[in-house]
Amino acid sequence: MNERDDHHVKQAFEALRREATEVTPPFASTVAAARARQGVAPRRGALGLAAVLVLAIVAMVAVSTWRGPRGGRLEVDLATVRWQAPTDFLLKLPGDELLRSVPQLGPRSADRRTL
Amino acid sequence: MSPADLTDQLEQLHVTAFGWALSCCGWDRSAAEDVLQASYLKLLDGRARFDGRSSFRTFVFGVIARTAREVRRRATLRRSIPLASLLLGPEAVDGRPDPATALARADETARLIGALGRLSARQRQVLHLVFYEDLTIAEAAVVAGVSLGTARTHYERGKAALKRLLEEESE
Repeated sequence: MNERDDHHVKQAFEALRREATEVTPPFASTVAAARARQGVAPRRGALGLAAVLVLAIVAMVAVSTWRGPRGGRLEVDLATVRWQAPTDFLLKLPGDELLRSVPQLGPRSADRRTL
Repeated sequence: MSPADLTDQLEQLHVTAFGWALSCCGWDRSAAEDVLQASYLKLLDGRARFDGRSSFRTFVFGVIARTAREVRRRATLRRSIPLASLLLGPEAVDGRPDPATALARADETARLIGALGRLSARQRQVLHLVFYEDLTIAEAAVVAGVSLGTARTHYERGKAALKRLLEEESE
């Protein structure tokens, strides 16, 4: 891009600057509006924070006092419960029952003539 | 810097600061006024403090750019999260151009704004700072929060793209 092109772009920006200058609000009113926000912003923030805190407390109280659909606490007798993991079957070996019983040796087994 | 000095310096920068706020808000006048007020508030109550590491103008422009980003983020949050408006307050700016309050633009400036809108945000920022605000590329890099090399790349590519777009629109 040469200097002539730069000049063209600069001219376009100057026209834009002239238009923007015409609509620029006065400095004094901008500062006054800024100072007016100074008082409003913290109050609005504090109000919002208070509202969120109240909602959080109400939610916590509601959760802690809710007793379920039947109105009472669900009691579980842990002594009668046998929990079984979904992966328990992996621990079962083929022929596992042979390891749980004692083989019987003696005349009865000899009569069968299995050998 | 005393409060009186600060106010004087802000007053001197006011017109260019408003131009920069307009650019940061997609040329939405009411949004730009809101961002400028919020930026002045940060400067006047000391939340944004000038430490002399850059020029005062660069510093103020940086505050305006950050404030415009915050306002856009808040508007997005307000739209996406229910009850967020309780904490954030009523919506003032959504970053989109408001036809009722938009600038009355001549053909040439309307073309320029249209072409700028088709550039990337960084290219738009750098070109505005250099051509509109008469900043150097190094100063524009500080305001945009990028390295000098990156700002130069955005400047060159943005300028070439802008020239092409302006030519396309004038044909």
